[in-house]
Amino acid sequence: MSDAPRVLRRDWTTPEGWRGTTTGMWAWLIQRAAAIALLVVVALHLVNPFRRGLQAALLALVLLHALLGVRALLLDFGLPLRWHRALFVLALVMTATIFVTVWTWRWY
Amino acid sequence: MPTSLSVFRWSRGERERWQAFDVDAGPDTTVLDALVEIQRRRDPSLAFRYACRVGMCGSCAMVVNGRERWACRTRLVSLRAGAIRVRPLYHFPLLRDLVVDMAPFTARMRAVGAALVPAPDAEPYARIPAGSTERSEIDPAIECIGCGMCLSACTMVGHNARFPGPAALNRAFTLERDSRDAAGEARWRVLLGDDALARCHGQGACTEVCPMGLAPTTSIVRLRQMATRKLLGLG
Repeated sequence: MSDAPRVLRRDWTTPEGWRGTTTGMWAWLIQRAAAIALLVVVALHLVNPFRRGLQAALLALVLLHALLGVRALLLDFGLPLRWHRALFVLALVMTATIFVTVWTWRWY
Repeated sequence: MPTSLSVFRWSRGERERWQAFDVDAGPDTTVLDALVEIQRRRDPSLAFRYACRVGMCGSCAMVVNGRERWACRTRLVSLRAGAIRVRPLYHFPLLRDLVVDMAPFTARMRAVGAALVPAPDAEPYARIPAGSTERSEIDPAIECIGCGMCLSACTMVGHNARFPGPAALNRAFTLERDSRDAAGEARWRVLLGDDALARCHGQGACTEVCPMGLAPTTSIVRLRQMATRKLLGLG
């Protein structure tokens, strides 16, 4: 048996590992996941810019990623940390609102 | 009310396992009460750490149902129905069962120069006046009891052994705002390195679990603001 000290790490493959995931971690995770998804969607969008589904995904992901980024910036600039949950919810609500507004707007 | 506790068991040379115990819980029975009951009546070999029993010392910090908590201040009825899972803190070397080695906590503190180094011209009993801006900045961050919950909750501590972690960075902030301290130059060399301030992702897990209500994330944000001014030659 190894003499290396046994150190426990959160096991992300179990429900218990995720149970302690806090709001701030969700905000971080969703923003990073949106960034990775954006890379894929932007590449597909370049192949065929006229697919409505891809346009919708692009808009939704850009809004989500950018607004969560604004949340992080506001906290970095000194907004009280106790607002971070409210800012997370606000970012999600604004993403949904702007998406619906832009997507349902008859611009042509 | 019968409650089932699933407790992490491990000792050197043995495989880790989960052991279930049924305890009779009243409305105010805490996780620590249940563990003491188990140790006294069922299995004297169960190892866990506690001292004050009243939510002051932080030595009974452990992970209960996936979240870092004080065992002595966590009532069983406050937890979700079903088996309660109790495991030791993450990111610390295990000693036995629920007991971890806190040495890395101290080592991380040392790494950021977490001890006050008095300035040569500081008065022997220099005080920071109550009501001063300096005092009001430092006060919310000084009640750390060294329980280690923030290090257990921090995902970056788990990924980077050189990252000082929330408690040490929180302490560094209090010293950076302390006019009596003279170790800033050496401390900033560490803070501005690849593995300190730049590594925090601002997830706020440390702040979420701190039993004293401290906000290490805020301290780290404040250090970053100070670092930005330094890098721009403004402070």
